[in-house]
Amino acid sequence: MIITRQKPMEEILEMLSPYRGVALVGCGGCVAFYRTGGAKQTREMAEKLREAGVSVVALGMANRQCYLCEESEVAGLSDAERIRKVARELEGFAQLEKAEAVLSLACGVGVQNLANILDIPVLPAQNTLFMGRRRVEGDFDLEQCLGCGDCILAFTGGICPIARCAKSLMNGPCGGVFNGMCEVSKSRVSEHPVPCAWIEIYRKLKKQGRVQELRKIRPPKDFTRAAHMRKVAWGVQK
Amino acid sequence: MKEVYSNFMRSLLSGKFTISGEVDPPRDANRAAVEEQVRHLKEHVVAANVTDNPIGDVIMNTLAPCVIMQELGLEAIYQATCRDRNRIALQSDIIGAAALGIKNVLALTGDHPKMGNHPQAKPVFDLDSVLLTRVLRRLREGENMAGEKLEHPPRIHIGVGLSPGVEPLEPEIIKLEKKVEAGAEFAQTQCIYDEKVLERLSEETAHLDIPILPGIAPLRSVGMAKFMLANVPGISIPEELMKKLENSSNLTETAIDIAAELIAAVKDYGFPGVHLMPVGMDAHVGEMIARSGVR
Repeated sequence: MIITRQKPMEEILEMLSPYRGVALVGCGGCVAFYRTGGAKQTREMAEKLREAGVSVVALGMANRQCYLCEESEVAGLSDAERIRKVARELEGFAQLEKAEAVLSLACGVGVQNLANILDIPVLPAQNTLFMGRRRVEGDFDLEQCLGCGDCILAFTGGICPIARCAKSLMNGPCGGVFNGMCEVSKSRVSEHPVPCAWIEIYRKLKKQGRVQELRKIRPPKDFTRAAHMRKVAWGVQK
Repeated sequence: MKEVYSNFMRSLLSGKFTISGEVDPPRDANRAAVEEQVRHLKEHVVAANVTDNPIGDVIMNTLAPCVIMQELGLEAIYQATCRDRNRIALQSDIIGAAALGIKNVLALTGDHPKMGNHPQAKPVFDLDSVLLTRVLRRLREGENMAGEKLEHPPRIHIGVGLSPGVEPLEPEIIKLEKKVEAGAEFAQTQCIYDEKVLERLSEETAHLDIPILPGIAPLRSVGMAKFMLANVPGISIPEELMKKLENSSNLTETAIDIAAELIAAVKDYGFPGVHLMPVGMDAHVGEMIARSGVR
């Protein structure tokens, strides 16, 4: 899923300061599962904003902000009508016209989708971090996929070195393995100790009797598949 | 018959015990700091490595000290890391270095920027050390990564690094095998203080046809030893060395003695040479070698 963390309140208040009325739109997807932007967090955000003196005129929930609707479906509608169309459990329905901006509690994809169909500014309540999973044991979220466009998990024991090795190495561990841990995660600017992905890959392949996979020289990553501004046509493998 | 371009490779092929040194580029544009290290090393080593911004701290680049050294008559081993340069810059730099007379290149992955004094920098790592090794060989064979022919290919010998004290060791050995397959002609290792590590390295690499130069650096104090243990992966320091440092009445003398014993051990285990990293004790390198009795 998409891992997010709410921005600090001071930053959100600063962003919202030019606008007299604000509508909040949460998301029922990853941010709801990870409790950073679901229905409950959206209501809590409204309370905090009101306490800070922000005029929250409405709040609602999009099922998934990463999919809202086609642009043609909202052509000719006002912003208030568009928000009504994509948000359920809407509170402050009648006040919606007063919204001068929308605060989205979705990830960066959701914010952009909402911004795409609204004329008024849509502002992000989250910092979007990465694609990964929640580890309850240890209480952290772990990055697992970088969307590099050329999946190599078949020969790395289902553990991605592109996302989970600090250097995205293709051909085995570097010299920075400290008791099985990545030395980069021990550095003073890192939050958590993280195991060396290549040692994990080695152990997994060993267990599967597939260490020979490590002996093959893997070619340089083709970054034409990972360069930004990617757009993929349906049915085309590129 | 294999073509030989450098004195360093000539020495290795001759079967003579070969000693390489290391020059640390200064933080600023102080040419004299390079010259002084060269002056101390020149008579004692065949060639010396020039590091490429170790741990990602900003210091003088690799190429300038390499050129200065060679002007002064000491052959350079140019360390190239994948940290700051993509495949375009790496190839371009090596071609330029070869035009300036560099004949040995050590291909390394490089430390992550988060370890150094510019942790905010964008890490590159477009290639890794295995792939860089293969690219260097391809350049030498007269072709760049785009397949374009080079009429004047860089005439360089290719070295690689090795961290023999890491646990588990098998993936590190597998990576060395890949580097040999990719074209590595010599290897230099991370610092070794423990003869057990030398012994294991010698056993675990016996099947590989590549000269390995174990890395030796003087231990200057108990503080330095403790720092290395806590911060450098794969370092082990035997209790007996710690005691020697603790009981020392002259740390310089003790550091020289310890280094000399390790250099002697390297030869005893049958390695073809040693890579000496003076870590500031450049003036004593001659004494370390003399006391080791390897010559």
